[in-house]
Amino acid sequence: MAKAKTITTTLLLIWCITPLLFLVFLSVSIQWLYPHILPQAITGVHWHSIFTPYNNITQSAAASLLIAIIVATLAVAVGFVVARFIAYHKYAKRLLTLAYFPFAISPVIFAVSLKFYFLKFGLAGNILGIIIGQLIIAIPYSIIFFTSFWNNSVHNLLNVAATLGSPYYYTMRHVVLPQAKPFIITCFFQCFLISWFEYGLTTVLGYGKVPTLTIKVYQYISEANTYNAALCCCLLIIPPLLLLWINKKIFLKHTS
Amino acid sequence: MYLQLDNISKSYNQQMILQAVSLQVQANTTTSILGKSGCGKSTLLKIIAGITKQDSGHIYLQQNNITALPPNLRNIVYLFQEALLFPHLNVYDNIAFGLKVKKENNTSIKIKVTQLIQHLGLDNETHKMPEQLSGGQKQRVAFGRALIINPPLMLLDEPFSSLDVETRTTMQQLYKTIALQYNITALFVTHDLKESLIMGDKLAYMHNGSLTMYHTKQQFIQDAHTGVSQEISFWNSL
Repeated sequence: MAKAKTITTTLLLIWCITPLLFLVFLSVSIQWLYPHILPQAITGVHWHSIFTPYNNITQSAAASLLIAIIVATLAVAVGFVVARFIAYHKYAKRLLTLAYFPFAISPVIFAVSLKFYFLKFGLAGNILGIIIGQLIIAIPYSIIFFTSFWNNSVHNLLNVAATLGSPYYYTMRHVVLPQAKPFIITCFFQCFLISWFEYGLTTVLGYGKVPTLTIKVYQYISEANTYNAALCCCLLIIPPLLLLWINKKIFLKHTS
Repeated sequence: MYLQLDNISKSYNQQMILQAVSLQVQANTTTSILGKSGCGKSTLLKIIAGITKQDSGHIYLQQNNITALPPNLRNIVYLFQEALLFPHLNVYDNIAFGLKVKKENNTSIKIKVTQLIQHLGLDNETHKMPEQLSGGQKQRVAFGRALIINPPLMLLDEPFSSLDVETRTTMQQLYKTIALQYNITALFVTHDLKESLIMGDKLAYMHNGSLTMYHTKQQFIQDAHTGVSQEISFWNSL
């Protein structure tokens, strides 16, 4: 039984790690052409090119990071407050159904239908427009996420705190936020990832003028530049891996 | 009169929950309100606490009209059926919560909380988290958390209903002792006939949103609606 468990774990590990290792390997390869099993040389030239101005990978990574951080922060802040309003509203279920709307009709179709307004207000093809566009997806996600936090138990605790003389902001700071902390961190990570990997909506509203890292990957693939595409993929994977590691650390600390 | 309710009415979805309820409570007494589940007892307490808004009527506490005041300015503490301790705070911090809200200094908080913890028999649980406590201990902490801010009025919404019989009896005795010692004025709602008789200095009965107040215990016992005479008949027939 123990042996079967070890084999399963090892196979799962190989299944997860192999594609990542392959990406790293591809990003340090040159002239890996059919029918060669291995590339003709291993080089750090692609990685070195990150620091040269001509391929803009650093700018793309910085833009992606900036957009993802702003989108995640705003989505969490707005979602947390709006979810409370919805959760305790008389028509909570009906209002929550509205939050599913952008997902029900697909973010890309949603973006296409909003394109006209983005063009009209000068939001198409710039970072502000991308942030607003992604927030249209991230905020409803955050609202749906936080409605499970604002349950009856939290509502009763708010009432207890109030009858003990606690004003609204004191209750939020000393009662609600300490309990919401793991929810807030998890939601921030997930909204960050939604924004970080977003492609369809960013392409439609960005007009290719905001080359985020995800868009850069597709751009290199379409150019048949697999080495740079692999390099961008490696950069694309670093933040999620980092977040997973931090999340695990926080979760373990929380549960211990 | 210490607490006075004038014609409090409340309805949900066109269903009448409270029908012009009027009540007068004297200082330093516990008034028991007996009633079946869903008769409007909890709604009445929530309205007094300011958690729920009434449709009409007025509330006076120590001659002040508190009808429009938010719950945090009423100085009325509500004890729920569940202890509802703050899960991220230990016993000490849960009890100290109300004093910290009032921004009392740490030395004063420490003295008051330590004394109350001893009084409630929680000396060995000071640094325990709520999930490490038994049901009875949790209710003691909730009681201490309410008591420490010395509220002019306490509202107890079947606070012992989730406890086992033995713990419930202990808590009832503890409450009686402390109520006497701290001159507590309280409204205690319950659906348990025996508990209402044990806990209340004054007795009231609630049925379908209407409240009947009794001047004496004898009147309460004689009223057929309260079920006391039926209970006595049952025990006599054994």
